Amino acid sequence: MVLSAELEHGSSAAESVASEVWGLSRGQARLRADTYQRYHIETVATEEVWKIPRRFNVKVGKFGLAKMIFKEFFQYFGHWETVFSRPCTYGVFSGPIGGFSPRPDLCVGCLRCEVQHPDFVTITPNGELRALGDKYMTYQHIYTIDQEAMRGTVPVRGQGYRGRFGGPGFDGMFTDMSEIIRPSRDGIHGRELIGTAVDIGAKPMHLEFDREGNITNPPTTFTIQLPFIFDAPPATLESDAIARIYAETAEQVDTLAILPATTVERLGLSGPNVVPIVTCTGCIVGAGTRMVELATWNHETYTHFAAQGYAVGVRLEMTGEWLSTLLEMQSAGVSIFHLLADHHGRSGDGRFLIETLKEAHMALVEKGVRDEVTLLGSGGIAGADNLPKGIISGLDAVGLDHVLLVALQARLSGDMQSRDAVTVQLPKKLDHAWAVQRLVNLSCSWRDQMLEILGAMGVREVRRLRGEFGRSMMCSELEADAFGEIEGFPGGGQ
Amino acid sequence: MMVFSSDEPKFPTKKLFEKTTHLMHDGLNARAFGEFPKPEALGDARWTDDLILATWFMAETGEVPENFNYMTGKSGGGFDRLRFKFLAEEQWLEHGEHLDTRLDLNRRDDGRQQLTPDLPIYGGGMSYGSVSLNVMLSRARNSVKWNTYMSTGEGGYPEELYQYKENIITQVATGYFGVEERSIKASPIIEFKYAQGAKPGLGGHLLAAKSGGDVAKLRGSVPFVSLFSPFPFHSTYSVEDHMKHIDWVQTINPEALIAVKVSTPKDVDMVAVGSYYAGAHIIHLDGSYGGTGAAPEIAKKNIAMPIELAVPKVHKFLIKEGVRENVTLIASGGVRTADDVAKVIALGADGVVFGTSDLVAMGCTRCANCEGGPSGRGCPWGLTTTDVELQEWLQPDWAEKRLDNYYIAVQWRLRDIMRKLGLTHISELRGRTDLLRYVSGDES
Repeated sequence: MVLSAELEHGSSAAESVASEVWGLSRGQARLRADTYQRYHIETVATEEVWKIPRRFNVKVGKFGLAKMIFKEFFQYFGHWETVFSRPCTYGVFSGPIGGFSPRPDLCVGCLRCEVQHPDFVTITPNGELRALGDKYMTYQHIYTIDQEAMRGTVPVRGQGYRGRFGGPGFDGMFTDMSEIIRPSRDGIHGRELIGTAVDIGAKPMHLEFDREGNITNPPTTFTIQLPFIFDAPPATLESDAIARIYAETAEQVDTLAILPATTVERLGLSGPNVVPIVTCTGCIVGAGTRMVELATWNHETYTHFAAQGYAVGVRLEMTGEWLSTLLEMQSAGVSIFHLLADHHGRSGDGRFLIETLKEAHMALVEKGVRDEVTLLGSGGIAGADNLPKGIISGLDAVGLDHVLLVALQARLSGDMQSRDAVTVQLPKKLDHAWAVQRLVNLSCSWRDQMLEILGAMGVREVRRLRGEFGRSMMCSELEADAFGEIEGFPGGGQ
Repeated sequence: MMVFSSDEPKFPTKKLFEKTTHLMHDGLNARAFGEFPKPEALGDARWTDDLILATWFMAETGEVPENFNYMTGKSGGGFDRLRFKFLAEEQWLEHGEHLDTRLDLNRRDDGRQQLTPDLPIYGGGMSYGSVSLNVMLSRARNSVKWNTYMSTGEGGYPEELYQYKENIITQVATGYFGVEERSIKASPIIEFKYAQGAKPGLGGHLLAAKSGGDVAKLRGSVPFVSLFSPFPFHSTYSVEDHMKHIDWVQTINPEALIAVKVSTPKDVDMVAVGSYYAGAHIIHLDGSYGGTGAAPEIAKKNIAMPIELAVPKVHKFLIKEGVRENVTLIASGGVRTADDVAKVIALGADGVVFGTSDLVAMGCTRCANCEGGPSGRGCPWGLTTTDVELQEWLQPDWAEKRLDNYYIAVQWRLRDIMRKLGLTHISELRGRTDLLRYVSGDES
């Protein structure tokens, strides 16, 4: 290779070391640099295989409609366009027999028909849609995720915010923006230059060399292109198809799919984007694997896999003395921690992620090791806005769980809060390519929404958002500042 | 402008126009008077069915309704948890015109004109393209009637607006769409829009479908191409740069007052003070729960803070800096009702900007399909659309009357609040958090 030959002469010792560390020849490194392509996710609109319930029901009184047509027939005789005009620009009454057989799937709730014809048209919210989800992952989340997975776009609508003021959990956090600071002075918005890549693994704060100039503590991080990973499906769902879908999507978008080691081995899914969850030293890890996760902390198992050169993460449920365990593990050499809240984002003592993640982050900061380790977190992620908020709270990357199943148009029911308790009903026809595209679309949509948040802040890469509490605002604190002097405000003035 | 042209088949025929507008007007009237049950699908936590129907009632009658809650929504926070501490009934003042609702916009004592609208309210920017020309004309005419102002938004200054130029604010925003020396010279107020509350830090995007012939021409573009307003001003990276901006327009129009519209970031207080020192007469804070023709849902809910939380912060900081009396603080973004107006003034603003409230008064149901919706044609009510047929459903004569009625009712309620607080001028309410109480639980 010409490039390789040219570089042979001009290479420095440092280049040589760096190239070797990452397993590349100098020529390969150069080639990689020269063939740099901006990260891009290719979206394709997908069809719905198990359509979620429509937003509205449309009821048209047949007698009232017939009466109106009869009246208008004579009133506008000869002006047939006027007689047959319909009060809907979305096609609800565009079927062969118009309002006698409306098409409620097309209704967007503009209510023009109901206002114009209050005596015989009624639009009602569809209770079937509203019954989806639970109090945390609401039907609005599910509807939005479905749209994101279908189109791969950022949901954009007119009019302002429609929900409650602030709220519990992540809703109680606002993200900051800057009036003039940009991620970049280039480009129309600067968004296109924002990096969403994150590093996973142990990162030394400085390099150490032996007497020959060789690095003795090489970084063992690897990079994924998204600040979110696919966490393992719930234990209540035994589906090889889902495992295959997660693994292939993770490879396509360059993130990680965390799956049970037994499943990975049985289905032959091992590769750089698949993270097997191992339970003991006897677990088999396939070729190409970069990282494994321990199901629970076990020093022997950790040492076993770390010695083989794998990046080793440990799953840690946020119950009991989880923070002490985390710090003990860090002292024992663990550098990747995967914190697990329940699916409402609560730890064992009922606290929400914002608080517990901050606690973990700050404990590692206090110990002076935060930059050397990776914090992953799963549970309680229900919408795209939860990503930046989880990262602001201290995570390097966020784990998606129930969200992925919703994107695949699965129906979740039963206990949607406890880990591994939800009842999952998958679509009857779960086509692999369709499903992968749905998750690819979701990934693109959520990444783009992350870019919106970062762009508004003027932050150039997601890595710089980690633990940036200063770029967030807690509604409760703002309220205390704004309303503290007002009579009746809890703890406020008289 | 209503046009019926046989060679433009998309324009509605006269009969179709008559039928549609008749049905719409009758329907809005019937709903406003509660002749039918409240539509189940109408409203949300911020704009409840009651608030929308009450606004329609006020637009029909010029009075506040008895049967709808016209004061608060159900968002569970902010304005919806604030109430007034009214005096005992025997201490209430008489309701009448002696209760002064006017607002001084120039507090700099710099020899420039004093602008004093009759209400502490002016019209927020909704650009040509995001709304129809008929909507702009309706708002402009109402502004004349109320001696107040209406911002062009960032879509240029349509020729038809020049007849109302004394009441039109020219907005200079990051895309500079339609910004001309002529419009700057014509305006009593020049508004620099740095950010918009509903999508702070994200710029703007007029979808191709809404950028038809006249809209594109006014924006200096070719038709049916998506038009992006970048974020931020690419010539502004500091307060000094901002000051140069102001110098530029003041060279063209030395008499104009300068308004600076910003969002509500964490450092909004610093931004406000910086804007003041750069020469702003009006600091306009646009809170995160404000309206928009199109914005990412993630931005509306999450980026920046609601206006109720930003105003006290800025008000107090301006006092601390010793400049509060030299600048007018305007609040927008989620200010829905007369009660909200009074509450935000009590929190520290001087006045407010209305946007969504105007649209609701003109018939908006807040269905959120302003950007086009699945039809790609924009608002089916004729508000946020430039579709040649749909825009005809809203005619300025009808809409102007509705806005006028609505403002009459808003002024009545403002005076009602003032008299019950024992205040004779709206400015006496500014910063009076002692006249508010916070309610929790069922009471909210």
